[in-house]
Amino acid sequence: MKRAILLVFCLFSAFAWVKGQQADSTKVYKKKVLESTEVDLLMSLYNQDGVHSPVNGGIGTEKLVDGTPTIVVSMPLSEDDVLTIDAGLSAYTSASSSNINPFMSVASTLKSTNLFNTTGASRGGTTIITTTPGGGTTTTTTPSKPYGSPWIASTGASHADVNKAIHADFSHSSDSRNFIWGTNVAYSKEFDYRSYGFGGNLTGLFNEKNTEVGLKGSAYIDTWKPIYPTELREYMDYGSNFQSSGYFNGVTILNQSGVATTAYLPSQFKPWDSKGRNSYTASLFVSQIFSQKLQGALFFDLVSQQGMLSTPYQRVYFADKPNFYIGYPAFIPVYTTSDNKAVYQLADDIERLPKSRIKFPIGVRMNYYINETFVLRSYYRYYVDNWGISAHTVNFDLPVKLSPSFTFTPSYRFYMQSATNYFAPYEMHLSTEQYYTSDYDLSKFTSNQYSFAFNYTDIFTSLKVGSMGLKNVNVKYSHYSRSDGLDANIFSFGIKFVGDK
Amino acid sequence: MRKKIWTLLFGALLFGSCVSVKEYKKIYLNDADMKLSANQNERFENNFQVYREAASGANSGKTGGGCGCN
Repeated sequence: MKRAILLVFCLFSAFAWVKGQQADSTKVYKKKVLESTEVDLLMSLYNQDGVHSPVNGGIGTEKLVDGTPTIVVSMPLSEDDVLTIDAGLSAYTSASSSNINPFMSVASTLKSTNLFNTTGASRGGTTIITTTPGGGTTTTTTPSKPYGSPWIASTGASHADVNKAIHADFSHSSDSRNFIWGTNVAYSKEFDYRSYGFGGNLTGLFNEKNTEVGLKGSAYIDTWKPIYPTELREYMDYGSNFQSSGYFNGVTILNQSGVATTAYLPSQFKPWDSKGRNSYTASLFVSQIFSQKLQGALFFDLVSQQGMLSTPYQRVYFADKPNFYIGYPAFIPVYTTSDNKAVYQLADDIERLPKSRIKFPIGVRMNYYINETFVLRSYYRYYVDNWGISAHTVNFDLPVKLSPSFTFTPSYRFYMQSATNYFAPYEMHLSTEQYYTSDYDLSKFTSNQYSFAFNYTDIFTSLKVGSMGLKNVNVKYSHYSRSDGLDANIFSFGIKFVGDK
Repeated sequence: MRKKIWTLLFGALLFGSCVSVKEYKKIYLNDADMKLSANQNERFENNFQVYREAASGANSGKTGGGCGCN
């Protein structure tokens, strides 16, 4: 796969270079590819909630909030060359990933919620009167009782992180502007994940620029710093004595009946034997003008991923293994409902997925200029991979030009996918399976997305900020709803400045 | 069978309609809303869709890198 991508890329490079040299031998007046520096300031706010957290084995809150300030600067280096730098942050808080370590102490809960009616309770206290889901109370005596719930965000370090990313792209256009080649590098990092990327692209325009053919190759070399669920990490560190060592020393583990036991032993869990994840992509696109008002494009990608394609902190619970908990036994009967405020099930294992995945998406975009007021943009994608997933995506945008400067764009997107062969819901996998996950992102579902965008454009850039003029302002809101109960909202904002020529 | 029909249909559309539109007649095609790549403000949506859905790619965007696991 890698060799094939490399070979095709080299052949296309050689062809484009020769054609570029031929065209460049004639010196004529050239319009700059990019007349002046452009700066895009972008921002998005995203929130979601759902009931199938993969960290909790397919149940529990998926609440997540993410903010992504980004700046994109495009600079003309010469008449033919453009350098684009794209840098951004993605700062998030996630209830789901907070439950990598779901266990909290009574003391912290007393400060933050009214969950418990207590009589002298504390981290080292003795008697706790717990309000049960039915409205009654139970009295528990315990020397010290950490607890958690898949329906409540923990306060652990993993509840928040910042992803930092930077991407640089260089492109060169031939004198005729009919051949463009480019190269790019990328880097991103968050606490437990680091990614290096690089790639190149070639584009040729033919038939009086009515046909465009592009080829792109990229590679991402990623490394995990695997973080395992707390109970499995303790087992990894202390072996079969982990219940009398480290975090679990003195902590009571309960069985399904709520009785204290020492039988919990997640012997199926083995730490990862490697940490890398590599992604190689070959892309081909062909665009064609069909008439003065209609144009379309075809996109083909072939993606090969290798390495650790699962996520190390996503729990799996087996149907053929007994269940064990930490917390308050009164909540065990309602464990899978949001009435569960204070008991957490200990993992049998983490998800296991194959170390190779081939993805093959094909996309078609067709845009039609209806009249001076309406444009219809349409997109369809078919996706298939060797994990058993196939998917269809359809998207329509209808930009409405309210005036020469203002455009209002309603959009609708429909998506449907089948489940991977390795997916099963909470407590439905068997320990005899080779691969397993309870991540609903890989389950069968449909989703609908409705969007509204406002766009303001001033082609004269009359509003100046220093030496830059305001060219464009864009605001967009989207609501996303998935058939498994996940809902999301995303608000994005963009503003473009261009430098004086 | 359905795949073949779609392929034929698109092929016929693609190659049967390859008229050559002159530069000076591309005023509608050069409209900002007619461009064939995803809009700049779609990048954030594409980003979360890659995380929340199994399918990705074929949209002239990023197809790897970053874990997308939250």
